[in-house]
Amino acid sequence: MRDEWPLALPLAALFVAFFVAPFFVLLALSLRVDVQVHALSFAQYAKFFGDTFNLSILWSTVWLAIRATLVCLLFGYPIAWVCSRAPARFQSLLVFAVVLPILTSVVVRTFAWIVILGREGVMNDVLRALHIVDQPVPLLFTETGVITVLAQVQMPLMVLPLFATLSRIDPNLADASAALGAGAWRTFFRVTVPLSTPGLVAGCILVFSACATAFVTQTLIGGARLVYMPLHIYQQAVGANNWPFAAAISVVFTIAVMIVIYVLNRAGSTSRAYGDAR
Amino acid sequence: MGSNVNRRKFLVAAAGAGVGAMVPLRARAQSKTLVVATFPGTWNEAHRNLLAPYFKKRTGASVTQSIQLATEQLAKLEAAKGGRPPFDVAILDEPQVFDAAKQGLIDEYPEAKSPNFKDLFPAYQDKWGPKISLQVIGIGYNPNKIKTRPKSYDDLLNPAYKGRVGLTALNSQLGMAFLAEYNRIHGGNETNFDPAFTALRKLLPNVGAVAANLGAYATLWQQEQVDIAPYNFNFVQTLKAKGVPVEFVVPETGLVGWTTSLHLTKNAVEPDLAVQYIDSHLAADMQSEMEKPPYDIIPTNSKVPLSAAIMQTVAKTPADLSKIRGFEWTKINPQRTALIERFNREIKL
Repeated sequence: MRDEWPLALPLAALFVAFFVAPFFVLLALSLRVDVQVHALSFAQYAKFFGDTFNLSILWSTVWLAIRATLVCLLFGYPIAWVCSRAPARFQSLLVFAVVLPILTSVVVRTFAWIVILGREGVMNDVLRALHIVDQPVPLLFTETGVITVLAQVQMPLMVLPLFATLSRIDPNLADASAALGAGAWRTFFRVTVPLSTPGLVAGCILVFSACATAFVTQTLIGGARLVYMPLHIYQQAVGANNWPFAAAISVVFTIAVMIVIYVLNRAGSTSRAYGDAR
Repeated sequence: MGSNVNRRKFLVAAAGAGVGAMVPLRARAQSKTLVVATFPGTWNEAHRNLLAPYFKKRTGASVTQSIQLATEQLAKLEAAKGGRPPFDVAILDEPQVFDAAKQGLIDEYPEAKSPNFKDLFPAYQDKWGPKISLQVIGIGYNPNKIKTRPKSYDDLLNPAYKGRVGLTALNSQLGMAFLAEYNRIHGGNETNFDPAFTALRKLLPNVGAVAANLGAYATLWQQEQVDIAPYNFNFVQTLKAKGVPVEFVVPETGLVGWTTSLHLTKNAVEPDLAVQYIDSHLAADMQSEMEKPPYDIIPTNSKVPLSAAIMQTVAKTPADLSKIRGFEWTKINPQRTALIERFNREIKL
């Protein structure tokens, strides 16, 4: 094992060349006053934090991703649980169904959602046919719409890690818990959920980071009036040609996402330690 | 033994195939690929269906399209500056040409190598690259939903159209030109955009969609999410040909237009092919084809008569084309960043 570490070198080199190095370029760019002026300055960061408009965009992006992750969790956990408990021959079918959306491009999936959520779309047709509403409800270009689509588009990222941990849990533990008098819900919350924490945390981290940075879904379903960080960065870099500011907000956004991931990770390891201690 | 022979045979065959692959060098020189930028919508369709086959016939080379807005092209060319550009032919709207030339992203157009260049109307023979068309904007509307034909941009304010009005973000020329025209109508000018934003605030309650992406804008019409909005003449014609219920109206305040042009990017990988591609776009027979439905691309070649649809809606004579109102983009360009920022703040939900 000791001598096998060089095997990781190609991956490390790739990581340094295509992530670490560009990130430093980004960092250097964000410390400029102007593309032409090379003097070091925190002007871009001061501009970002000095304006509530930018902060509100950052917060709405994080809040959007949190809500989309929760929706994913709410629907993904039962799916993963059913997958893990299904008989072997159905299991592969179920997992295939979960993975199926990944097989189409996210752009195609998102355009399909425009058709579903539009004023004359499937969703509004159903609601009107059932006489739940008389007039079409706006779904496209609303946060509800964006969260719905993000949850569907990113669902496999939640289900797969959860499925992996849930299927490793010994079913005898649940039986033991039941034999000791715990009800189904108590068993679920005291045994199954703590044991599935690693998958839960992994799923939440993947979905959160994917939702926060989902440029395509956010812009196509949300439009230009719901500005989230990816669109904000794009508009500054491409529309306004203000690269230093775009770089600065990219750095801020990266750090913000990393903080949330760190918190999720910590929460995960604390609850694991708590589970182990008992 | 048998398997050895088979393997040897296989190796010989493989080597043969390898040598064979090297032989048709001439054939491969003809199957070169030119990477070109094109706009989403009418443009990429016309370029893919008409221009690419025409160019292939002329040169033997094929075309790879990279679909993006003019602002995106400038950003990518600027990023690649000093090295090879990501595409050899840029397609720009009038405002971006000034910036591209100033930033050294495009080369002067080699007129001598382009036989069709001299056939363009003199106004369209720009030294930075020939104008291939004029794009005009007016009002697009869905006749199934909007029963009274709109007359002016003020009709967008009709309370009956609450949630039906569409706009596009300012990264597209459609968005920027509409803002400039809306500004002018309400008393502003190239250096004062306050009237536009005051008027926009009144319009916003009616706005159901501000498309962040021009490509998605067409889908919004198809899905009848947007029923009335400022739109390009060509885009309306292309959607109409696909069976989408949409009509184009020239508002009382007139049309607003800008030229669109093709450019040879600096350090292009295949500069000669790039010029041939651009020249193909200028050819009279090519422009006559592009002028037909569903593209209705306004020609700039003096030998191409205007089509019925263009004469009916846009201009009766080529002289009328030059009377279509434009803007002083050199004055607006420096404010672009500030305008985008202000627009985003004003429209944010």
